[in-house]
Amino acid sequence: MALILSLLIPAVAALWLLGAARHTRPAAGNTIALAASVATLGLTGLTAWTRPEVNTAWVPSVGVRWHFAVDGISVPLILLTAVLTVAVVVQARGREPAGGSTGTFYACILLVEFAALATFLTRDAIGFFIAFELVLVPMWVLIIRFGDERRSDAVRADASYRFIFFTALGSTLMLLGLIALVSATGTSDLTALASARGAGLPRNTQVLIATLLVAGLGIKVPLWPAHTWLPPAHTVAPTAGSVLLAAVLLKMGTYGIVRVAMPTVPDGFASVAPFLAAAGAVGILWGGLACLVERDLKRLVAYSSVAHLGFVALGLASGTETGLQAALFANIAHGLVSALLFFVVGALKERWGSADLSERRSALRESSPRLGFALVVGFAAALGLPGLVGFWGDFLAVYAAWSPDAGRPLVLFRVCAVLAVCGLALAAGYASRVLRTVWAGERAGREHEDARGREHAVIVVLVVAVIGAGVLPQPLLAVTASDSASVVGTRR
Amino acid sequence: MSSLSVQLLVLVPAAAALAGLLLRTRRPLSGLVAAAASGLTVLLSLLQWATTEPGARTVATIGPLATGELAVPLHLLTDRAAALIAFAVALVGLAVQVFSIWYLRDDPRYPVFAATVSLFLAAMLLVVQSGDLILTLIGWEVMGWCSYLLIGHTSTRESARRAAHKALLVTCTADIGFIVGLVILGVGARSTDIASVIEFWAGPQQQATAGLRDAAPGLTAALVGLLIGIAGKSGLIPFHDWLPDAMEGPTPASALIHAATMVAAGSYVIARFFPLYAASGAARLLLAVLAGVTMVWAALLAFAQSDVKRLLAYSTLSQVAMMLAALAVVPAADGPAPGLAHLFSHALFKSLLFLAIGWLSVIAGGTAFAVLRGTARGRGRLQVSLAVGLLALAGVPPLVGFFSKESVIGAAEAGLQGKDSAAAWVVLAALVLTVPLTVAYCTRAWLVVSARPLSPTEEADLLADVEGATGQAESDALAAPAGDERPTARHVRSVSGASAVVVFGLAVLTVVGGLFLPAFEGPLHLGLTTAVLSLLLIGGAAAAVRAVAPAGADPAVGLGPRWGVRSDQGFGVDRAYVAVGRAVLALARLVVVLDEDVVDAYPRGAARLSGLLGTAAERRHRGASSPGLVALVIGVVALAVAGVTVWH
Repeated sequence: MALILSLLIPAVAALWLLGAARHTRPAAGNTIALAASVATLGLTGLTAWTRPEVNTAWVPSVGVRWHFAVDGISVPLILLTAVLTVAVVVQARGREPAGGSTGTFYACILLVEFAALATFLTRDAIGFFIAFELVLVPMWVLIIRFGDERRSDAVRADASYRFIFFTALGSTLMLLGLIALVSATGTSDLTALASARGAGLPRNTQVLIATLLVAGLGIKVPLWPAHTWLPPAHTVAPTAGSVLLAAVLLKMGTYGIVRVAMPTVPDGFASVAPFLAAAGAVGILWGGLACLVERDLKRLVAYSSVAHLGFVALGLASGTETGLQAALFANIAHGLVSALLFFVVGALKERWGSADLSERRSALRESSPRLGFALVVGFAAALGLPGLVGFWGDFLAVYAAWSPDAGRPLVLFRVCAVLAVCGLALAAGYASRVLRTVWAGERAGREHEDARGREHAVIVVLVVAVIGAGVLPQPLLAVTASDSASVVGTRR
Repeated sequence: MSSLSVQLLVLVPAAAALAGLLLRTRRPLSGLVAAAASGLTVLLSLLQWATTEPGARTVATIGPLATGELAVPLHLLTDRAAALIAFAVALVGLAVQVFSIWYLRDDPRYPVFAATVSLFLAAMLLVVQSGDLILTLIGWEVMGWCSYLLIGHTSTRESARRAAHKALLVTCTADIGFIVGLVILGVGARSTDIASVIEFWAGPQQQATAGLRDAAPGLTAALVGLLIGIAGKSGLIPFHDWLPDAMEGPTPASALIHAATMVAAGSYVIARFFPLYAASGAARLLLAVLAGVTMVWAALLAFAQSDVKRLLAYSTLSQVAMMLAALAVVPAADGPAPGLAHLFSHALFKSLLFLAIGWLSVIAGGTAFAVLRGTARGRGRLQVSLAVGLLALAGVPPLVGFFSKESVIGAAEAGLQGKDSAAAWVVLAALVLTVPLTVAYCTRAWLVVSARPLSPTEEADLLADVEGATGQAESDALAAPAGDERPTARHVRSVSGASAVVVFGLAVLTVVGGLFLPAFEGPLHLGLTTAVLSLLLIGGAAAAVRAVAPAGADPAVGLGPRWGVRSDQGFGVDRAYVAVGRAVLALARLVVVLDEDVVDAYPRGAARLSGLLGTAAERRHRGASSPGLVALVIGVVALAVAGVTVWH
């Protein structure tokens, strides 16, 4: 019940905001959205705790079922989604972007939450595709309608259509893969597909399915070289959109690989894995290098996302339990860190009027110490500083890439591991660059108000989460441990 | 009880760091918390020392972690070596915390500084007590980050920002090797437990199969990787140039970084992995060569520095290389005691020297030799403390520096008989050069700070010389202005009682510190012949410096202004770093160009193509709605009606 309600509440609230409450006052819209997202958070917590399962027929003629369940792999993701939706709604109060009605804005946020939760909870291949697609429309609206009003319409349209173009292409590839999978096996039940582990599928079919699925989901992740939609989307999107995009939407890609591709066609995935690892390693270096010269702070954080998701890809490709644990941890870590960074950078952009690093401004350490501290924590976590949440995923992914599953090309994976470590040094370079430009320095020019009230509260919560999960990683690792063992097949 | 004391040893300073951050607006309280926590840490380290038995024991922490095939127990380790080094670290930490309450009295950001120092201590103690590769890495990296924050503490100065940036980049680049090395070690053993790692790579079975002469290639690769990381943090050539620039940090921070923590951590890590290094002759030879070259080169550069803090920085490079050299050549059966002994003794006398110089700089209003000239003269305890520190650095008996340096020389001599005698020869030759060079720069520092007052004409001559030298230095953009002090009126204030006690206490410990050294397990290799020989070298060098220097003048002036300026610039190594940085940035620009013009060209092309197709299709239809579309709409409506009807 809690599970179904946790999906229904954001959906119903979103429809209400879109319909009846569309032109309500901003504060009222915020209150509705806040109530819905807090209720959803509570129900998600309950779902994570009781782990219910819902399984009834939906479209019997094609065997599609209304099948939702929770396991260790989805628990951290649904909690992350629910927490960040609350954070986004809290932060947006009183600063709703222009460009459309308030009701529409909050409805889009709640729809993203609904679709993301459905993606993480569904156990039906077709249901997965539907939920995966549902998220695109509200996010597109967030970018094109509520995006940075200082940019021209053409720039906003370019960013949003690029987002749609890439993700729709990815979804098409994924749909082909899913149809091939379902037609070859005769079932769309992901639990059954995972426990069958590709039994009875010829190797060529497996490779074809895995290629389609990984390519399609990889665009969403995004993996190099299909990452060029991410920086413009982040630059244009409002803070709420950027946070949800980085912390929730990108997770759907990696989650999809773990849920749909890895266990269902393990042999096919093994053949694709070297390409996945190489794309991950190149992405780490590519993103890190781009960050060294990027002038727009939001684009910079977007490129650092590409680098971090490279570590996730590397962990997934290794095919070991350690690698999967690393990837799942790095996934959540990236969610927290990128959310923190986009909140802080969004706050800075709001004050500065732009996020251009080449402008000379008063140093944050002197004029806005709270935002400055949060920025330091965020970039320290981005460079994988131990004791913060980013470290464990990065280190374990490198470890896993050095010792991949038997049958993987060892030399390639070890080269990828070394490249990934070089990426950590690049991360130190761009983190230090940003801090030197923005955080350290003198008081010069106009000073801005420091974070306070709700804005500060949201940032503090994320800082605590980034430090807390970094110092004590075991709870999160323990949640995913048994299910990641069954995904890689070390435990049936 | 003793397990708890080991856990608390790491936890107490970490908690103090957190408390310090939360109390950052309440200055007196934050100072009290920092000092009290470091005092408690000293007590805990003494408790550990009192309760250790021979051999190592593990202590559980937050582990084990659920990391699949890899075992991550996250144990701490306690043994004699850890206890003694932890004591030295805690002691230096206490000295620095107490001293900086006074030293940074006018600094509005003192609470954050104290919290960072606490975190730094927690990280170093974690490295010391670590029994797990991951815990070592955590402490190692957190220390690097804290040093970044401390060096850039006065971040309103561009030179401090640059020095912090440089320190972080150089050490993080070197850490590529460190991380890869740790990963290789862990992959072999399928565990990050250090005892299991040593058992796997250098256990009896491994030695039987690989033979005693040399280790598996995997092990050598791992150890060389670790060595690169250690070279970064400990400032071995070619990574050494960040350390003199790091003098931009406040002097107590320099005392911390140089004496007992970051820079010395590399020696401790090698001592921890000593059985592995003992099994790999290639890695040890590389270590011996790097350490030998660094030892001599840094001692050579130290002599003519125009700033006393930079002189001490180069002496740190030289002395840390000496510890590493001892670890590179001591016979495998004898254990790492000589290197650790020098680490311990260096912690005492180097913290003494930095804090005494910090005190002196407050009186004089700067750390440049030109400013410090004659300022120590007639200042009682301060002058005595400085003398003790410099004598210990020079290795004069019976101070602690003498015993530990003799132990290093003895280790090299013992290494000559072993199978890796090439490494021992390299180190011994370097030591023969370094010992007199060390004496030379110590003598120079002493002659300048305790010089007699000059007559007006002499002063004018000297000032002309100094201005000539510094004028050239400042005309070069790469010459970093040294020292964090600027002569201002408010800096002149009397020392607090506690700070004076700290400095004098460290001086006393430097005198009697030799008594601690036998507590390390394993022979220290003290020998009479080498002692006599090195005493001759020490005496000769001191006499030579005194003899060549005109009475009352700075001996470095005799080398000419060019040598001084070159020394201040570190002979242009910074330029090489900048060139590497530029190359990486050029690559980054290339990546951005490729990103926009190649990788992104496909989607743009696709969008353009679909746009063209759309336009073409529209032209064919000429805007009229096609019959097909009308039929489709009718069909959809019919279906919807049918659906609604059937539903009911």
